Amino acid sequence: MNEELLRISEGIVKRASIEGFNESAALSINTRRTMLKIANSEPSITQHWSSLNVVVYLAKDRRIIIMEFHPRDESEIYKSMADLLKVAAKVMESPLYAPLPEPVEVRPLEGLVDREIVERLEEPSTLAEAAIEAAHREKIDSIAGTIDLWYREKALSTSSGVSLYEDSTGFQAYLRAFAEPSGSGQWSTCSTRFNLRSIEGTALTAAKYAVESRYREKVEVGKYDVIMSPMVFGNLLELTMRMASAFNVLMGLSMFMGKKPGDKIASDKLRVFDEPRNTELPRATSFDDEGVPTYNKAVIDGGVLKTLLHNSKTASKMGAVTTGNAGWISPAPWNITVGLGDYSLDEMISEVRRGILITNNWYTRLQNYVEGVFSTVSRDAVFLIEDGKVVKSIEKIRIADRLPSILNNIEALGKDLYNIMWWEVTIPSKLPYVLIKDVNVTKPTI
Amino acid sequence: MALRGDLMEDLVLYAVDYARSAGATYAEARYHRNSLRSIISNNGSILGVGSEVVEGMGIRVIVGGALGFSATNRLERSSIKAAVDRAISQARSAFRLMKHPIELAESKLGRAKYSVLEAKHFDSLSFEEKACFHTDLWKATSRSISEAKASALFIEYTESFEEKIVANSDGAFIESKVPRIALFYNLVITHPQKGSIQRWEMLGASGGLEWLDKWRLINRLEEDAKTYEKILLTAIEPPKDAVDLVIGSEIVGLMVHESCGHPSEADRILGREAAQAGKSFIKRGMIGERIGNENATVIDDPSIPGSYGFYLYDDEGVPAKPRYLYKEGVINEHLHNRWTAKVYGVESNAAARSMDYKSEPIVRMANTYLKPGNYRLEELIEDIELGVYMKSYMEWNIDDERWSQRYVGLEAYLIERGEIKGFVKNPALEITTGGFYSNIDAVGREVKFYAGTCGKGEPPQGVPVWFGGPDVKLRKVRLGVSIA
Repeated sequence: MNEELLRISEGIVKRASIEGFNESAALSINTRRTMLKIANSEPSITQHWSSLNVVVYLAKDRRIIIMEFHPRDESEIYKSMADLLKVAAKVMESPLYAPLPEPVEVRPLEGLVDREIVERLEEPSTLAEAAIEAAHREKIDSIAGTIDLWYREKALSTSSGVSLYEDSTGFQAYLRAFAEPSGSGQWSTCSTRFNLRSIEGTALTAAKYAVESRYREKVEVGKYDVIMSPMVFGNLLELTMRMASAFNVLMGLSMFMGKKPGDKIASDKLRVFDEPRNTELPRATSFDDEGVPTYNKAVIDGGVLKTLLHNSKTASKMGAVTTGNAGWISPAPWNITVGLGDYSLDEMISEVRRGILITNNWYTRLQNYVEGVFSTVSRDAVFLIEDGKVVKSIEKIRIADRLPSILNNIEALGKDLYNIMWWEVTIPSKLPYVLIKDVNVTKPTI
Repeated sequence: MALRGDLMEDLVLYAVDYARSAGATYAEARYHRNSLRSIISNNGSILGVGSEVVEGMGIRVIVGGALGFSATNRLERSSIKAAVDRAISQARSAFRLMKHPIELAESKLGRAKYSVLEAKHFDSLSFEEKACFHTDLWKATSRSISEAKASALFIEYTESFEEKIVANSDGAFIESKVPRIALFYNLVITHPQKGSIQRWEMLGASGGLEWLDKWRLINRLEEDAKTYEKILLTAIEPPKDAVDLVIGSEIVGLMVHESCGHPSEADRILGREAAQAGKSFIKRGMIGERIGNENATVIDDPSIPGSYGFYLYDDEGVPAKPRYLYKEGVINEHLHNRWTAKVYGVESNAAARSMDYKSEPIVRMANTYLKPGNYRLEELIEDIELGVYMKSYMEWNIDDERWSQRYVGLEAYLIERGEIKGFVKNPALEITTGGFYSNIDAVGREVKFYAGTCGKGEPPQGVPVWFGGPDVKLRKVRLGVSIA
């Protein structure tokens, strides 16, 4: 497929030049993916996709057009291209425009393809069986979840001379266990390489939290020291890292509006990285959508904002240098990792006088992106901590606070890192439990 | 789509026939094409133009009681055959783990073709005129305020078509075409001393450019910017004691979507989405139980003309109709597809929808609203001594069983002695589902609808919906104040 996929991308770029566009890039992505969903401890559906997706960037006299196709054949792309050339003449120049970068040598990443994942695309039901069996080693009532495996190839060609191909595999699994009365736990894992034990471990962690969170009791609202699991911190950190996209800063969708590299934005203890060259995490890649080589970078180091995430357009607009995070329009993080702390979870709990351990959350929404005002709702196990000990399972709560406060009030980070990826953490992340001081906790008044 | 339609019709029927011959007890094939054009701008400058075609076929089979789904965009017989084989083989291998084999309820299935027309065609305005519209919106918004500043106005304008051919082995054959128009904007107003206020909103409908006339966007954004400037400059904290609360139709619409529509999805109640969108506070056997007072009637109706969530047949071929989810305070009916209908021993009420060819049909809302009452807004507030009118929101969320919910007001007013006074800042309504539906004291008479993209499923599927309702009044509610 390597040559055929490149042929498609290169053919589109050639055709764009013939049509009269000054610049173009084509990214063809061929995917084979299998997902097995579990509900009530049995499969609910097995899904398989085999698809070719082509994304095209076109520029004409500094006007920008982006096309996306799941095409039956290239002729449909060519026809749209001709139509859009007429449109391009009528659009004003894009203030984001910058030329596509010249080719730079890309150092390939080794180890992105695991043949076992490719083989398991054909027969995923044994994985569901293993997950269900592992979860039921604990006294749970049922388990639900998703096991998702994929093989993906991408071929990028640009009019500036880039011609690159890469293939990779990945999997994610997330599982949620239920134990009556009212207990539930959820956990996730992901990698570029298959690991049955991590799927079983995910099932066991979910089941353990489900059993431990039965018999929930009420809790008062107010300020608490909160230990966030990697699931919870991963959700808030993904939001933070998306706000580090220079495009979102320019569009008013970021609390980093008005901030610049060098500004202190978080606790000294926090180090956050974008790691496209971490070959363990599923979005690892050696080049971005502009063909720029990727590199691992600190985005927050010692609580200081080190860089925004740029493509060549946002970099040009903001007087910076691309960070290899294109997205032709909006840069985005590849994989998110957090620097190690020195606490085990038990040690972290022992530091807390009056606090809450929250293991999972969802539905994070913002009142104001610029000021980072948000709330998020717990789901699954939540525990009250008093005088250094977990004392009881408690009912669902809501955290309503400011993201800048959360980042600044980080008191301790765990020394164990977990690979997290699920519905609410869509960018693969490797991160620890985190202790945050003085978090505002609310719940309904009627 | 005559020629393409004929070819696709052949392929859809081939997929169904082949799947049946290969051992599927049920087979369904859906040719699905989503095409769109978009223009995005920031502060009046066109950042870029987008064009998208997502086209392919989704195939669903039942083999021995297990469900398999396979999708491909390689639209020739050999690829369709391979996709069918894949769906069958994967369902077959999962069957050994099934404890409750999947069956579908008997349903009256349609054989029909329908399309929604654009009253004003997308091409009746030139591309230049549409691009100029972005610039005009920015000029009007930024010029409308003087003390504060409009620091960002991001706009994404989209025109789209959704075309489908659905056939299944139980006899359904539905061909449909629905055009939609949508506009999303994010507006940031800032003041050097007073901070910032942010509003994003989505407008959407089925039809054509006639909606641009109805939305009166230039006036709307001008007026909104002035309002937000005043909120920044003058808003005070909301009352700390329990007060009467008038909730505007925009928030009421979202509340009924979140706390009636979602928990009434029968697949959620049965646990199928437990690891993703969650479960429901509604359990099996709760039909007939009271959830609120006589003012609480919530309807979901796919067949509202012009609605963003419009359809006449669902993706299993079942004819659409209004669903009375809560009726006069009682849990009355759930949203069903043919599988959940079989489990419940009822008929499907046509809630199976899929986002695109890559997506399995699952139970979804369409257009959900609270049934109107008799009051004008002035009548709702005239007897309020001290209260708050929350008209719009930015932040909201609800727990995964759809019981504990929170809405933070954006445009919100103090009510004193029956009159609307100045602005209050970020009042937070945090309430349970039972608390809301049991405390509706009076209901306005005018229903307004709002557009959204509702997310559910894995991989996540965003489908167009409307949600709406009239203004409503609650008595004695304690409001929080957002951390801002």
